[in-house]
Amino acid sequence: MNNAIDPHREERRLAALLIAPAAGLIVVMALFPIAATVSEALHGHDLRLPWLGRPFVGLANFVEAAGDPRFLSAVGHTVLFALVSVPIEIALGVALALVMHRALRGRAAIRVVALLPWTVPTIVAALIWRFMFESYSTASFDWFVHPRAAWVPIVAADVWKTTPFVAILLLAGLQTIDPAIDEAARIDGAGPLRRFFTVTLPLLGPALVVATAFRALDALRLFDLVYVMTGGGPGTATEPLSLYAFVALMQRLRFGYGAALSMTVFLLTFAFALIWIRTVGHSLTDDHV
Amino acid sequence: MRISAACPEPCRRALFVLAVVCAACRPGDPRPVLSFSGSSLGPEAAVVRQQLDRFASQHPQVRVELRVTPDAADQRHQLYVQWLNARSPAPDVLQLDVVWTAEFAAAGWVLPLDRFAPDVADFVPAALRASRWRGTLYALPWFVDVGLLYWRTDLVRDAPSSLTSLDQAARQSMTSGETPFGLIWTGARYEGLVTVFVEYLAAFGGGILSEEGRVIVDEPKAVEALSRMCRAITEGVVPIAALNWREEEVRLAFQNGQAVFMRNWPYAWSLLQEPAQSRVAGRVAAAPFPGVEGHEPVAALGGAQLAVNAHSAQPQLAFALATFLTAHEQMLERARLAAQLPARLSLYEDKALEGALPIPMRPVRRALDAAIPRPVTPVYSELSEILQVSLHRALTGQQPPAAALTDAAANMRALLARSGLAADASTR
Repeated sequence: MNNAIDPHREERRLAALLIAPAAGLIVVMALFPIAATVSEALHGHDLRLPWLGRPFVGLANFVEAAGDPRFLSAVGHTVLFALVSVPIEIALGVALALVMHRALRGRAAIRVVALLPWTVPTIVAALIWRFMFESYSTASFDWFVHPRAAWVPIVAADVWKTTPFVAILLLAGLQTIDPAIDEAARIDGAGPLRRFFTVTLPLLGPALVVATAFRALDALRLFDLVYVMTGGGPGTATEPLSLYAFVALMQRLRFGYGAALSMTVFLLTFAFALIWIRTVGHSLTDDHV
Repeated sequence: MRISAACPEPCRRALFVLAVVCAACRPGDPRPVLSFSGSSLGPEAAVVRQQLDRFASQHPQVRVELRVTPDAADQRHQLYVQWLNARSPAPDVLQLDVVWTAEFAAAGWVLPLDRFAPDVADFVPAALRASRWRGTLYALPWFVDVGLLYWRTDLVRDAPSSLTSLDQAARQSMTSGETPFGLIWTGARYEGLVTVFVEYLAAFGGGILSEEGRVIVDEPKAVEALSRMCRAITEGVVPIAALNWREEEVRLAFQNGQAVFMRNWPYAWSLLQEPAQSRVAGRVAAAPFPGVEGHEPVAALGGAQLAVNAHSAQPQLAFALATFLTAHEQMLERARLAAQLPARLSLYEDKALEGALPIPMRPVRRALDAAIPRPVTPVYSELSEILQVSLHRALTGQQPPAAALTDAAANMRALLARSGLAADASTR
């Protein structure tokens, strides 16, 4: 008996030993920076004011954020951006996926062309869109001076760039649908619209949930497009949360407050992911599988 | 030889490689190093290298080294803060932007210079004010930059004597169709917008901080100044596109003949006078930005100063280097080779300077006499950021000027209180 267990235990120990470096690396690479950010967020730390030291201030940075209008409007901008851009991207993504799925001739060419925007680096895409909208500004109207109009180029660039990504995810979903179901609906006399809404779309549910989650998480961390296109302006009318955190950290050199703002970005995306999986994710994946 | 005993073969080999690498980067010179960090792009690098070599030949006991830093002000500032926060003894001498000196002084990062009893009588007064913090001198002015009003001599005969006459001339040229815009300035949300505001503000006799460091940017004169800027935008005298413009966009619009007046820095002069790229070459003059009726003209001061690292291993020599670089001959040479304005008034009496700089000396000298520093406070960059946001909100019509400045003032007061710098707080 002892002989039978011992080699097993040996092996397990060896396995643990072999995993240890990787596990240790994960702890150092992933957990340590997060822990350091949390600790920084709980301290008052301003590189420009070294005479104040680095006292422990508890949640004071978060309390300050809660009363900071610029922070609150940055949260609003971030959520609003996600609420506007993601649905557009999903809708266009579905359309594009259907085209790619149905195309009989030139399938490869269509897919390559559809994917092109996604391969352009975000910074380059942002600059291209900025130049385009700048050239459409006139002496009396400027896209980047109007506080609401300035969002249009940002959303347009984001939609242009990420719709292909959504389409690819959805195309994979479309290909898992059994064509026989569609065929059956057609024989029963359902028109194309009816078939799309009652057959294709429901069966595409799981892929839609995944695509929306990916896009929403990205949208809530919006940074690079705005940084290049408007810098958060005019005023701070297009400043998302990540950009404000960047300003606090890298421009004001307020490490404590900046870390607290970064934590709120993390908390916001985390909360969304949790709610999304608990509600929509569950109902769609569990019921249908 | 204990190494070979304690160290296995691969380790010894690594040590050998390390030794070779170290030998390559340090050519066995036992002399201490005196390091300097400053602008090192193009002609600026050449003139600094030349002057450092000259200093080194006069002081053979040290090696003088140029530490290259990023040329973008923000990035250089960030790097300096990292070094000095870590109490690094190098670089010994630092080039500071005029608006950084108070910050570095209050943080204890740079040495007070009064102990060396430098002779400062000749420096441009506004630059000297910016190199003092709480009455103590922390830096020597190195070169200056000053806001100028450029105007088209073919459309307007003389420099406007007041903001009102500037406005009239600008409108006249617009209505007659000679130029699409009247006046252009740097209106993007960045430091350049603050320098424009500082000039309008002073034109109306207002300010950002009082002498004692109290926030006064929400007082009626400041509201009046910002309202004037907003009106220029809404009435089209200044194009709304200018709210996205920095120095270069403004210069390009002006040299393409799009405006009668431009507020910019002296660097623009030689570029505007180049017929190959400028449509207004030979038809441009410059003067200080005018005040309102009955007020003197004013100009925002920029430029750089030299300070000594508080943790320098050889403060005496470091100060000697700063003195050397800010001396008469070196400044003149810098003007000639890098086209930067000297920070010594006596040089403006020197015929040699007239020939060394492309821009005529009279308007520059007048602007320097009218120059005022931006607020001298350790939290200037944050103060400026608050102001940039509020100014831009008002100019883009998101907030009325008074409300924007009330917000800015409240944020500034909170900042000063948080940092222990409020005027009523006891001195640190």
